[in-house]
Amino acid sequence: MTFQTIFKNSLIAAISSIVIAFGGAVQAEYPEKPVDMTVLFGGTANTIAQLLSELMSDELGQPIVPVSRTGGGGAVGYSHVVGTAPDGYNIVWNSNSISTTHHTGRVEFDYTAFTPIARVSTEIPALAVNASTGWTNLDDFASGVSAMDGKLKVGISGKGSFTHLTSAALFDAMGLADKVAYISYGKGKAPVELLAGRIDAAIQWPGQFASYVESGDLNVLAVTGSERVGVLSEVPTAQEQGVDVDISMWRGLAAPAGTPIAAVEKLQAAAQAAVASDAFQEASKNIGFSPAFLNATDFGTLIESDDAFYGALLQRLGLAK
Amino acid sequence: MALGSTSDRSLDLFLQALSLALTPMAIGAIGLGALVGLIFGSTPGLTFTVALALALPMTFSMDPVPAMGLLLGTYIGGMTGGSVSAILLGIPGTPSAAATVLDGHPMTKQGEASIALGTAVIVSVFGGIFSLAVMVVSVDLVSKLAIGFGPAEIFALVLFGMSTICGLCGDSLLKGLIAGVLGLMVMTIGIDTIEGVPRMTFGSVNMLQGVNLLVALIGVFAIPFVIEALSEDKNAHSQNTRVIRVKVELPKIRLLIRNAWLMVRCSILGTGIGAIPGAGGPIASFLAYDHAKRFSKKPERFGKGNIEGVIAPETANNAVTGGTLIPLLSLGIPGDPATAIVLAGLMIHGITPGPALFMNYASEVYGIYVAVVLAYIWVLGLQLVGIRIFVHVLKIPREMLALTVLVLCAVGAFSIRNSAFDIYAMGVIGVLAYFLIALRVPITPIILGMVLGPTLENEFRTAMMLSNGNIDVFYTSPTVLIFFTLALLVIGLQLKSELTRKTKHQDN
Repeated sequence: MTFQTIFKNSLIAAISSIVIAFGGAVQAEYPEKPVDMTVLFGGTANTIAQLLSELMSDELGQPIVPVSRTGGGGAVGYSHVVGTAPDGYNIVWNSNSISTTHHTGRVEFDYTAFTPIARVSTEIPALAVNASTGWTNLDDFASGVSAMDGKLKVGISGKGSFTHLTSAALFDAMGLADKVAYISYGKGKAPVELLAGRIDAAIQWPGQFASYVESGDLNVLAVTGSERVGVLSEVPTAQEQGVDVDISMWRGLAAPAGTPIAAVEKLQAAAQAAVASDAFQEASKNIGFSPAFLNATDFGTLIESDDAFYGALLQRLGLAK
Repeated sequence: MALGSTSDRSLDLFLQALSLALTPMAIGAIGLGALVGLIFGSTPGLTFTVALALALPMTFSMDPVPAMGLLLGTYIGGMTGGSVSAILLGIPGTPSAAATVLDGHPMTKQGEASIALGTAVIVSVFGGIFSLAVMVVSVDLVSKLAIGFGPAEIFALVLFGMSTICGLCGDSLLKGLIAGVLGLMVMTIGIDTIEGVPRMTFGSVNMLQGVNLLVALIGVFAIPFVIEALSEDKNAHSQNTRVIRVKVELPKIRLLIRNAWLMVRCSILGTGIGAIPGAGGPIASFLAYDHAKRFSKKPERFGKGNIEGVIAPETANNAVTGGTLIPLLSLGIPGDPATAIVLAGLMIHGITPGPALFMNYASEVYGIYVAVVLAYIWVLGLQLVGIRIFVHVLKIPREMLALTVLVLCAVGAFSIRNSAFDIYAMGVIGVLAYFLIALRVPITPIILGMVLGPTLENEFRTAMMLSNGNIDVFYTSPTVLIFFTLALLVIGLQLKSELTRKTKHQDN
């Protein structure tokens, strides 16, 4: 053993004993360095993440740094976070995608690999048709579709995407599953395709339709959540119209399983304060999402029940692995 | 009477817009954006999409017009800056500048770097302002036409874009086609968005994200540059420095006037393609290059440092910036990742794109127009100064330059998706590209294949889904037929010239 290795080993021993001695103190001071927040998607997810991290940084006293790790429908980012130390310095801006990536076989682990911190927001999909159809509610829609010769062309972002799953659940509940053909588009093009009449209906986010509703080009028939949406407050929910579905996309924060409770609680409190802030409420109206704080425990219950729901839905659509 | 009141209203809006856009804050934000965009766009490896992502959070606390000014300034600066490293080093800063390498880099080797750079920035500004003017006048009309572009039409347009591979093949059509197909194949890696299934990923989570276009672009152009520079013979090296003389000389007005008609044609082409949702800059620049070559009196001079080969793609790719504003503002469809970030900036300020935008936020929209013009003025001013600095890059010893480029590229590849996998992907693609170059396979068609491949495939499949598997859609739409005919024409002309060249060769 050379002098250097002896020196190195004793140094490591000395440092670790100090760390152990002050362990309690270190934990109490969480966070003492910046927190890395993995963002799985671009677009709205990224915009909310940027804003949330700024607001949460003010609360925590340490910066939360949003780092975009996109790809594979969330698989790349989730895999990164699962591989990090559960010390509270690595968190993920998650969504229902934790269930879809797992059940479609893109990642081995499932939601139990993460500790929930808090739900932050929800986005509720809306069903729109071209105004020239004359359909204004789900009853018109159902009778119109049943009377059609061929199948109804419904635009989705891609097979297994959230808009696809929502469409499938809604049309199942309406008993129209056999009358529908899905057309996959890239993101964001559905309103234009509806306008041009190349597709008959599309389920997308209310913010994408709002401008066309105002100009009278499109009719939005229903939103699929249990509550109405701010930007389209006159549009009733599917449940109000007697169709039993309740699907919304939630976003929130999670950390690798085993993250200390103290860190989770601090992050949860910071998220709660950020969601309640004026800046966040204001932005939610502009971007078209609903602030929806839920504490760690309730968030955990929601993720668990959602996971079972999406697992079954994907199984039935033949997309589960 | 109606006309009078409308023009009064526009004048009113225009004055309001000026007061919004001509505040020191707005002018400063636009200038800052233009500077940052130019730096990111012109540095090999760094991309202005990353610059935009960094700028986005800064805009949250700003007023809408300065916020949009910062983002648009970065976008426009980046689009213009992409030509700098394309011309100086042969490494395009953006996919849209890939066509500029073909003639811009040979000009550098002939000691005309500053003329190429000066021309590039001037025609960029021309193309950009031209397209903005078209956009302001005809946004309603053009967006109605753009809506008519369904999957079948976009497929046909992209196929037409692909046909320009023929003109980029160099000495062998076969090798060019091989390169194009390689590009198409690379882009099938990853999750297929239409069916939602992984392809060619070999069970690896990292492969799920696929090959990022920008990472591949950096690899294909920068790595061969680095390998060549480092493996250069020292004796040959001294000869090389002699060839590259550094002088600062701006293009003559006469040169620009002589090419004015080419600039106008390429501006129209760029604006039109920019306006079609999902088409984007690279198609425009390659089509413009191909068209300039085809209609040139001396097509054989292309690829050897012909200034027309710089003017055409640079005019067209900046004309795209005005064009993309049409689907972005009137339909809310971003043309590429960069405009997607601009869209996010609009949304967070409550400016929701769509038909109602022009009713609800007219003064902001006019403010954005003014901001674009200001951004181009900034870019022109900054770049005319910048050229004097940039050309000195050529004085740096090649091996030191190569190492700097290598580090910047590794950092740049990582920063796009914060993924170490992308650094390896860049390396692997780069080494493969080096061997392809050694085999005299042209690499520009690889880029074209990679840029257009995903759109080509997805639009085809969506079109087939829409028609329920019926191939009719590809010959019943007049637009589709026009593009198919143009594509056939390009291929036919190329085959003909290939044959004549071969016969001549045999005669000799």
